[in-house]
Amino acid sequence: MTALLEIRNLHAEVAGRKILNGLDLTVNKGEVHAIMGPNGAGKSTLSYLLAGKPGYEVTEGQALFNGLDMFAMAPDERAAKGLFLAFQYPLEIPGVATLTFLRTALNAQRRKRGEEELSSPDLIMRVREIAKDLDIDAEMLRRPVNVGFSGGEKKRNETLQMMLLQPQLCVLDETDSGLDIDALKVVANGVNALRSSDRAMIVITHYQRLLNHIVPDVVHVLAAGRIVRTGGKELALELEASGYAQYQSEAA
Amino acid sequence: MIHLGKNTTSRIISKGIAAGHSNNTYRGLVSAHRRATGARNFTNCDSLLIGQECGAHTVPYIEAKNSSALFEHEATTSKISEEMLFYCMQRGLSAEEATALVVNGFVKDVLQQLPMEFAVEAQKLISISLEGSVG
Repeated sequence: MTALLEIRNLHAEVAGRKILNGLDLTVNKGEVHAIMGPNGAGKSTLSYLLAGKPGYEVTEGQALFNGLDMFAMAPDERAAKGLFLAFQYPLEIPGVATLTFLRTALNAQRRKRGEEELSSPDLIMRVREIAKDLDIDAEMLRRPVNVGFSGGEKKRNETLQMMLLQPQLCVLDETDSGLDIDALKVVANGVNALRSSDRAMIVITHYQRLLNHIVPDVVHVLAAGRIVRTGGKELALELEASGYAQYQSEAA
Repeated sequence: MIHLGKNTTSRIISKGIAAGHSNNTYRGLVSAHRRATGARNFTNCDSLLIGQECGAHTVPYIEAKNSSALFEHEATTSKISEEMLFYCMQRGLSAEEATALVVNGFVKDVLQQLPMEFAVEAQKLISISLEGSVG
């Protein structure tokens, strides 16, 4: 197995406040990792750091993505190299049709990788195929990106983008928040369809519920900016029963 | 916009973009003549700010010389936020491509009214004048 992502001793702060405290994490190709933990443990911070959001400072440690220093790359380079972050709160872009956004994003990535751009008819065909699996109708693709979308539509749109862009590492930041049970299944099916031996996923969530549908290989507990426990999928069930309280006192 | 006849209607859509250290001001007169009864106007004035140092100002002038004219004015100011750019960049767009995409979305209402040739030129012009405005 080859390590797709290797994080070593990561310390980071946001607006002068220390959030991550020596986090280590190795994700191999083909694996699905779940990261669980209480509010404010640094789960979202980790996902933003990986994606390169401005304002999130790495103070110590490093992350290797396919052997490349991740923090030396701009956010768009990381995306072109195959990193995808499914946002917890996807942003709205008024006046830009969803299909236009998909085309611009895919072709920007292809250009950066030195590949040829995809023609519009090919793209439309590909998008339609994925949209069908996700219960997305053509009317939604014409609407501006995320503007006036319901919570479920936004998350399905994130999944659509992920399936179109075919990233190597998918980071899903609380993709289950704001989803009803049916939408959760649709999104989980999409994510499961992406599971493959040369792709890895990091699923960030508070609840076991999502992990019933996306079954992880490894579960980590993140508390006070560090991974405090690692186990198999049964760890998630144990957490559901016992809560996070013990880890919070342990970390402090 | 000057209304002279009875029951005339008009619509103004203004989209202003301010980047860098620039300020953008909209001044528009809408006037109804004494005999232009039942005149109607709707004005929509949107401004987009790029960066921290720029500003947008809206100064509508309304002159109604009869009591049955109905004039509406609506104004919005929005900013290209860092979050929005980050979202686009996470999908693979460079900072400049992201800005161009958001700006084109903003001016879409106006550009789609233009003949094709103009719209293409206008779009190019916008991306050229915004070059280097994102730091």
